[in-house]
Amino acid sequence: MDNNTAIKTENLTKVYKGFWGRKKVLALDKLNMDIQQGKIFGLLGPNGSGKTTTIKLLLGLIFPTEGRAYVLGKSTQDVATKSRIGFLPEESCFYRFLNADETLDFYGQLFSIPRKERKLRINRLIDQVGLEFARKRSLRQYSKGMLRRIGIAQALINNPDLIILDEPTSGLDPIGTRETKDIILALKKQGKTVLLSSHLLSDVQDICDRIAILDKGKLQITGTIDELLSRKDVVEMLIRNLSDEAISEVEAFIKGKQGEVISIKNPTNTLEDLFLKIVQERNSSFRDRNKKGCEFDQIGSEAMSKGDKTDQLN
Amino acid sequence: MQQILVIAKQTFREAIRNKILLIFVILSLIAICCSVFMPVVGDGRERIKIVESMCLRSITFFGILAAILISASSIPTDIEDKLLWTITTKPISRTSLIFGKITGFVYIVGVLLLIMGSVSYALIRFAASGQDVQNGKELLAREKFEPLDLQVTGKSVKNIGNVYWIEGGGNGTSKWDFEGLAYKERLDELEIEVKLLVESKKRYTKKIPINIKIINPYTGKTQVESIEVFNNKPASLKLSAETLAGSEKLTLVISPENPGDFIGISSDSLTVFLGKKSFEYNFLKGLTIISAQFILMIVIATLGSTFLSLPVNILFCLFVFFCGNIIDFMRDLSTVINVLGAHEHDHGISAVVNKPNTIAFFLDYVLKKPLLVLSYVLPNFKNFDVGPYFVDGINIPHKKVFASFGYALLYVSLCLPLSFVIFKRREFA
Repeated sequence: MDNNTAIKTENLTKVYKGFWGRKKVLALDKLNMDIQQGKIFGLLGPNGSGKTTTIKLLLGLIFPTEGRAYVLGKSTQDVATKSRIGFLPEESCFYRFLNADETLDFYGQLFSIPRKERKLRINRLIDQVGLEFARKRSLRQYSKGMLRRIGIAQALINNPDLIILDEPTSGLDPIGTRETKDIILALKKQGKTVLLSSHLLSDVQDICDRIAILDKGKLQITGTIDELLSRKDVVEMLIRNLSDEAISEVEAFIKGKQGEVISIKNPTNTLEDLFLKIVQERNSSFRDRNKKGCEFDQIGSEAMSKGDKTDQLN
Repeated sequence: MQQILVIAKQTFREAIRNKILLIFVILSLIAICCSVFMPVVGDGRERIKIVESMCLRSITFFGILAAILISASSIPTDIEDKLLWTITTKPISRTSLIFGKITGFVYIVGVLLLIMGSVSYALIRFAASGQDVQNGKELLAREKFEPLDLQVTGKSVKNIGNVYWIEGGGNGTSKWDFEGLAYKERLDELEIEVKLLVESKKRYTKKIPINIKIINPYTGKTQVESIEVFNNKPASLKLSAETLAGSEKLTLVISPENPGDFIGISSDSLTVFLGKKSFEYNFLKGLTIISAQFILMIVIATLGSTFLSLPVNILFCLFVFFCGNIIDFMRDLSTVINVLGAHEHDHGISAVVNKPNTIAFFLDYVLKKPLLVLSYVLPNFKNFDVGPYFVDGINIPHKKVFASFGYALLYVSLCLPLSFVIFKRREFA
């Protein structure tokens, strides 16, 4: 296995057995996968396709029936390697009686991070995920989105080389989703490897370098976004400031070159762009709002539903 | 090591924040404090006995309950809530996780024991306050000595079962030798306690006089005292420790005073107490022995939690604790169920029914052997029972403390590695 490979699986298979040892479910069937370091890899598939099973096998939560898996060059059972891995599970499972500070401190101690360094990282991460306003509240009082944010923070507490995120944007509002994607892209810039599992296809398409699609435990296809999605036979042009006459001339020119005009129309922004624009116009800064204790989904949804420009915090 | 302490601290913090420890403290203190209000018939020593007995039983009951409920539920709950997903994916081995959890459980039960023990001690002191010291109603922790040797001589001695019957009037005697009677204070008391079976040809007599000859083998000095004894009731003779005069050995010769009076003796009919140890130190030793059984139960519950679900594990632990308190009964029951070779003079169910039958056969093979096996495999929690020491006012010997801990350690050394092996292969699906 070469040094640039972050994750490698060889015929990785998992069969869940019943109480008497009889085969019940073939969750993963001979998965062969390579993930290079410094890339963002998306693992896609419908529910029950084997995405979470793959992640659990890579993290040593369950054991393979057949085959092998290597993470950062070592076996999945190697404890020392886990100091270089960050993991966000699909469900936010933390001690609910702790607050954000205590939660990150607990996980930081498991990595044997010295106290001073731990405090610095906790402050930075809480700021980065936008939970400054709620850091002293117990997680019992957190919304789903807030729990996701603290989950991302605990996945990054050890400054890992490999980050495994299972449905990272699940439960997040559009702003939270955007920020999470920005965090993931920033991690890639730092040379870290990200394995991202999701069934929100647009999120995966926006940020992943390579993807793999699983279905019924089998790998269906794998490749880069460009390789899999680009259509070589179609050209898209976005042109500004063209009059109707000029448009007709262009259309005629294309027909003259034996091209087929599929459609000519004004492109639309995405709903996400509109939402972000409205929310960011209403708020002077992202962090000021956090400090006054409002959640973005609350502001966004109230603004969208009422169309009210009044400052909720006043 | 650091990670073990992190997990331990987290486990303890969870018990505090989730108010589990607080609930156990409140309930146990209510039970302990109720001991002071129990009705008592008799003198002040009876009140002290009641309070001591109830306090120790409450400490044991709530401590074991806390040990079982907290230890049996922690890991299954963490697995159910998927908390272990975020912990085991950190650089901590599963062995360290188990160690950390057990350490946390021991902290929790230790704090509970400290609180219960402190309040119990205060209540016992309160119950003993104002009692008449001279009448022996203070807190006792007497050093107990058992006979090294018993010799029964005389023409009129008859042996029925394990009991020797001696007739009075010089026809038979029982001689008891004691060693190791070292005393530190001249004012220490030497107490001879007898508990004999009594019969008399004078049918109306409920008590008979007996002679106790105290022989100092070192000085050769002999002293004869007479006391009256009732059938199977303890009677004591108190002497000054100066009777020993520097010797650590003592010989006692006991016989009924009058012909026609009989005493039935066995090896445990006579006990010697010398001096009084500190009650506080004795109480501390008692709590130490009780804590050993808590640690044992914690390890057993943790073993169960590595492969059983929460309700099944709790039932398993309660089963182990219950059976561990009736080990002697289980062994006796397996002896009673005896099919083979039964005849009218044997014990056994078939002796009652006069012939072997299907039920007895079934009981013999299905019940007897498993009971016998269980009685040897399961830990005997009677080994940690310190109640009789306090009720009888006896000092707990150090070897008892070490023996209790050694016994607990034996089971811990078996259960702990098994926990590690099972948990290492446990999947968190």
